[in-house]
Amino acid sequence: MATVVFDSIFKSFGSTKVLHGISLDIANGEFMVLVGPSGCGKSTLLRMLAGLEDIGGGTIAIDGRVVNDLDSKDRDIAMVFQSYALYPHMTVGENMGFSLRLRNDERKRIEDRVAHAARILNLEPYLKRYPRELSGGQRQRVAMGRAIVRDPKVFLFDEPLSNLDAKLRVAMRAEIKALHQRLKTTTVYVTHDQVEAMTMADRIAVMNDGRIEQLGRPLELYDRPANLFVAQFIGSPAMNVFDGTYRNGAVEALGARWPCSAKAHEGQPVKYGIRPVHFDFGSGVEAEVVVVEPMGAETELVVKIGGQSLTVATHGRSPAAPGDRISLAPNAKHAHLFDAASGARL
Amino acid sequence: MTNRKLLSEAKLWLVAIPVLLWTLIPIYHIFLFSISTKDSAFSGRLWPDHPTLHNFVTVFKQEHFYLHHFWNQIWNSLWIAVAAGAITLAIATCAAFSISRLKAKGGRTVMNAALFTYFIPAAFLAVPMYKAMGTYGLLNNRWSLVLAMVTLAAPYAIWVLKQASDKLPWELDEAARIDGATPLQLFRLVYLPLMVPSLVAIFTYALLLTWNEYLYAFLLLSHENTIPLAVGLGHFLASDDSPWEILMATALIYGLPPAAIYYAFRRYMVGGLTAGAVKS
Repeated sequence: MATVVFDSIFKSFGSTKVLHGISLDIANGEFMVLVGPSGCGKSTLLRMLAGLEDIGGGTIAIDGRVVNDLDSKDRDIAMVFQSYALYPHMTVGENMGFSLRLRNDERKRIEDRVAHAARILNLEPYLKRYPRELSGGQRQRVAMGRAIVRDPKVFLFDEPLSNLDAKLRVAMRAEIKALHQRLKTTTVYVTHDQVEAMTMADRIAVMNDGRIEQLGRPLELYDRPANLFVAQFIGSPAMNVFDGTYRNGAVEALGARWPCSAKAHEGQPVKYGIRPVHFDFGSGVEAEVVVVEPMGAETELVVKIGGQSLTVATHGRSPAAPGDRISLAPNAKHAHLFDAASGARL
Repeated sequence: MTNRKLLSEAKLWLVAIPVLLWTLIPIYHIFLFSISTKDSAFSGRLWPDHPTLHNFVTVFKQEHFYLHHFWNQIWNSLWIAVAAGAITLAIATCAAFSISRLKAKGGRTVMNAALFTYFIPAAFLAVPMYKAMGTYGLLNNRWSLVLAMVTLAAPYAIWVLKQASDKLPWELDEAARIDGATPLQLFRLVYLPLMVPSLVAIFTYALLLTWNEYLYAFLLLSHENTIPLAVGLGHFLASDDSPWEILMATALIYGLPPAAIYYAFRRYMVGGLTAGAVKS
């Protein structure tokens, strides 16, 4: 259990700057997710914390101790890799006990710790098997077991679920979260999948282009995205965003008036954002249905308004068919306004 | 089987049969000589009238003028080949590990230098090598041939092992580092076990290269007690009336260890040991 503090972290590869002064405090026992598109620097940040990448500038502290010049092995961290990185010539049990073996722990103690971790992860029947004899999900659990056995101060996950199929990913997501609730170890988790971030995190740091765009609890980011990037990155299906002009307490766009509760200057060009679930059917904006995507519990409609495609999500089934004309009432309370130039929330 | 498959199969056989004959006929010829009596060796028959194992008895009992040191010489061959193989392997493994996995500074230069050594044919280096060994006082010492063969085999061995090392997943090193492995532990506990197939292949390469070497052995070693069997066989041709049937029996015996080594290690020659390490 430990805190992790990033203080103005910089990093460049050659002349390419990948991190521009990242500062981030992670509390004791917190599940922090770093999320962002590929190339945003999230993995680099994690690898610097792991000691696999040199720190270009700034300091990283684990449990109050600056670790910039410490080797990976002295940082008391454990990492789960996207590719699992299991030792192919060792059995599951040997893989999990390898770090303890390197520390010259007693055999009895190693066996106990491995057995304990195997029990937590339901790996007991596989301890004598080799990684090549396991399925993807089992391998991923072994990789987690290897981390648990060490009882480290911080768990690091580098896109651990990216190589699993969709169904397994959902199951493992729940397992990792349950594991964290059980062990309460400080965790830093990197992913490009905003659903993973939303479902697992205590707090999320949304990263883009080497900066943290917003830091907050999952629903904070969903309800009050600080800027256009976060608004469009968080939430599925993605938020509808289009250009408009603020006049008389509403936004004029796509040939209609869009209600909003936020304020802007009269005549100010803005971006209007509204999530697909925040439409009601009734009197409002006229739209033409283009595509209907029934998913059982909900239905997604792709509609055209003033030449622009928007997504609308409804609970349950929708009677609408392609070509129908419907009337949509955007929910003003849930509409978001962003400055057209800077993208910042208004 | 469809016609098309049959046709491609037939084409393969059309190539395979001549290649097989091309390879096997000389070996059969050696075998034929070795079981023939001196008189019938050149009879031109496909099978001798009176096949005999007498030639082998002669060889094993060292009962011919050219064979008085047979056991000694085959021991020399073995000793020199194993030593050269082991030293080449040790040098190449350490070089490949430090260049490929530890990213040692100057690694590229070493690799280029290793490649450069092959611009000069080994035969050109024979005389300088002779001079060098003479300076070190190693002439007529088995170590001279061992060292010479190591210098010839090591560059290629380093290249091959470096390439094989590069293919090991990098995450394994990172995982081991986080698990607390020092570079030496990484080498011993992760790198070596995963490299076994390549290591066996390179050891076999260096061993067979040395086993089959003639020129350097002929130059550097001249005493009957120090020469390997390859040079000993060459002595057979010193007279006009060479005992071909005994030469061929000896040659057949000389050819058996490499065949045995290939057979024993063939399962290591194929990779696949890293399966399951990382998602590919």
